[in-house]
Amino acid sequence: MRLTWFLDVAEFRKAIGLILVLALGAFLLLPLATLLIWAFADVWRYPSLLPQQYSLRWWNWVFTNGDVGKAVFYSFTTAPVVTLISAIVCLPAAYAFSRLKFPGRQVFFIGLLATNAFPKFGLYISIATLFFELNLINTFWGVVLIQLINTLVVMIWIPAAGFDAVARELEEAARDAGAGPLRVFWRITLPLAMPGIIVAGILAFLAALDEAQGTLIVGSPRIITMPVLMYSLVSNYPEPVGAIFSVLLSLPSLVLLLFARRFLLAGYLAAGFRGR
Amino acid sequence: MVREGRRYAPAQQLRPFAFSEGAKEAALGLVLTLPPMIMLVLLVVVPAVEALLFSLGLVPKDNVVFSTGLHLVSSPTPTLKVYRDLFASHFFVDDLVLTFSVTFATVALTVVISYVLALYVRFSSGTLPEIMRSLYLIPMFVPVVIASYALITFYVDHGLLQSLLVQVGLGYGSPIYAQSGVILGEVWTQIPFAVLMIGSGLDGLPQELVEAAQDVGAGFFSIIWRIVFPLNLVPVLIVATFSFIGVMGSFTVPYLIGPNAPQMLGVAMNAYFGTYQQPQPAVAIAVLTFVFASVAGAIYVWATSRSGRVA
Repeated sequence: MRLTWFLDVAEFRKAIGLILVLALGAFLLLPLATLLIWAFADVWRYPSLLPQQYSLRWWNWVFTNGDVGKAVFYSFTTAPVVTLISAIVCLPAAYAFSRLKFPGRQVFFIGLLATNAFPKFGLYISIATLFFELNLINTFWGVVLIQLINTLVVMIWIPAAGFDAVARELEEAARDAGAGPLRVFWRITLPLAMPGIIVAGILAFLAALDEAQGTLIVGSPRIITMPVLMYSLVSNYPEPVGAIFSVLLSLPSLVLLLFARRFLLAGYLAAGFRGR
Repeated sequence: MVREGRRYAPAQQLRPFAFSEGAKEAALGLVLTLPPMIMLVLLVVVPAVEALLFSLGLVPKDNVVFSTGLHLVSSPTPTLKVYRDLFASHFFVDDLVLTFSVTFATVALTVVISYVLALYVRFSSGTLPEIMRSLYLIPMFVPVVIASYALITFYVDHGLLQSLLVQVGLGYGSPIYAQSGVILGEVWTQIPFAVLMIGSGLDGLPQELVEAAQDVGAGFFSIIWRIVFPLNLVPVLIVATFSFIGVMGSFTVPYLIGPNAPQMLGVAMNAYFGTYQQPQPAVAIAVLTFVFASVAGAIYVWATSRSGRVA
């Protein structure tokens, strides 16, 4: 009898599948579930499986804490600025990569992807030493610049795919009907490529919002954003505080990423990997 | 494109020295792609080169951090003293050993786990693989800081996992604040990309090949080992390379979950830079991570070109 006889029995195959799904589900979800329960717990002592006492008093603490307020302010001022600058810098390039033939195209593209594979934390340390020289350390614009790095690939790759998908025949038809090249771009190409651009914008916004390591190095102690505050909340406060803050920080990601899930996969595969 | 000829001809008549359409397109392309390339040079190339020079003892006079750092090595000609000092310190050597053992363990575990998951999704149908398809993506939606904290609350001493185990009478030693905890956290974060990448490779595998092998009586493992695995080597190499670079240079997971000493390179860099006020060793460690990453990248390029030749 072959060693793999069990794979020929449908019930066994199904059982193996079930075990795999349950094991992976437990591995990935149980920690997140624990965190979610902690967000509403007041007293949760070992070895109880659930908290002895629930309360919302830590929510009150989080919402009235001055550091948290400041972090929310810095997060929601840096991330939109980063997204906007990234769009201005990258969208024309996305169009060029999609539609134009020019020397160095291949080299530029590989260079762009190579940045994604760069060991990020070492890069942040190197940038920080340079930012001291440029007086950018501990400043709003220093943080904006360091968050910008992680948005470049996504802001070029996904919109370029969007421009690729616009049918040339449509543009040519408009040209034949007498529209100038700029008019064709604004009225035909751009609106058709807009979904890709919006998704790229969302992902760039989230990349900036969730960026913790570079912001920690360049922004601390003055510009503390929400994920950076997590580092100190985790170690200095009781569990519910970090848990509540995690829930709050996950909300924008969860909503926006679920919305962009389908487009995201293509871009994620293409871009190779997300910096951490 | 249809009208290109018509637009092009009169211009040529009026201005004999006018640039061709192709040259104009090339110029426009360069102008449009220049801004992000300048960004890349300013934010990646310049800092990396400056870091290299600084770590070799070439200290610019006007940089306050560079020139006021403790234990500064300054020399008019390049010197390896900073690196020699690092390697002479047993703290750093321990850090290096920890980093590589965590990295290799994570890469191996990630590849094996992700391969099994990808195979399952590829070669089975029904609701379970469909659930799996959404399940393995979850870490992608969770910022690493939050993921690390979630893992701590679950696996920590007297955490939920220990509570669960004690119900069935099992003992427990927490991996949190130990090397195994770091590996656990790194694998957790690497899974989505690895499964996606290996899965996309498996999707490209010709179904006829697998069926032909089945027809001649090849068993499950022999099909995997003799057909699927050799044909799907490049995605595995990509996963191994990217997770090697990602884990070797990581900060958040080892900083929050890892032991106090030894530390992974990212945590050590941060300590030298902040706590010890010694930017030069910090930057030297950063340069080392760049070197390790490029070695990994080179091996990847060599291996893919070699497997391309064989195939």
